[in-house]
Amino acid sequence: MLSGRGFTKVYNLSGGIKAWDGLTAEGPVELNLNLIQKDPSPLGITKSAYGMEQALGDFYRKVAHTTDNAELKDLLTKLASIEDKHKDYVFSLYTEVASGPEDRSAFEKTVNTEVLEGGYNAEEYMERNKKFLASPAGVLDLAMMLEAQALDLYLRFADVAEKAGAKEILFKISDEEKTHLTALGNLRAKY
Amino acid sequence: MLDKLKAYLTPAESIDAGQAEDFRLTHPEGSYTVLDVRQPSEYEQSHIPGSKLIPLPNLSDRLDELDHHKPVVVY
Repeated sequence: MLSGRGFTKVYNLSGGIKAWDGLTAEGPVELNLNLIQKDPSPLGITKSAYGMEQALGDFYRKVAHTTDNAELKDLLTKLASIEDKHKDYVFSLYTEVASGPEDRSAFEKTVNTEVLEGGYNAEEYMERNKKFLASPAGVLDLAMMLEAQALDLYLRFADVAEKAGAKEILFKISDEEKTHLTALGNLRAKY
Repeated sequence: MLDKLKAYLTPAESIDAGQAEDFRLTHPEGSYTVLDVRQPSEYEQSHIPGSKLIPLPNLSDRLDELDHHKPVVVY
């Protein structure tokens, strides 16, 4: 149908979703959009994204404190440091759209750090996924699932974003998430 | 007229899952669309991250929501 309606390039995924062996997301189109819709401006989006990166880094550090498994502790610490790098990237996006130089510690006081990437509550998420947190492979599976949900959330919001510059910011953050997912996949292959 | 008829009769190119994943990794977000034409309940259960949901029965009425100039991967 699309080919005959002026679309320049259309690809049909053979076998549909059943054949797809990449990561998937779940939930309805509207899931957690409210997290970003509170302030859908580029500034608001970067604050929301920064808060979610911070929350996930805190989550990994918290889990790292609860384990005596040295390998697991190292991995969780590494995952937390990756989230710190994401925060650096998101802050750089923030400074691009902010009107003047911004003090980072002042900025951090304005972000909400209670929601994990993808839109989950940290405490509930930890309780619900305890079984995954017992091994490096399980932790990485969980991390990849969270990043896939985050990528999905950013792109779903980009689809409905109307404020000037909002889509561009969300696409940049999404590209960063895709790179992160690839790195996690490579790490997962080692376990 | 002939070109339009030819385009209408030309089937979309098929790609496998590996090619679709490569496509996603090599194209920046915002430069293409992944379109899910299944029912909402199927989308809720599992979908490719960032897919746009337009169920097949509604597709002809909602084509203006898609950018004609961007490649579309459909499933």
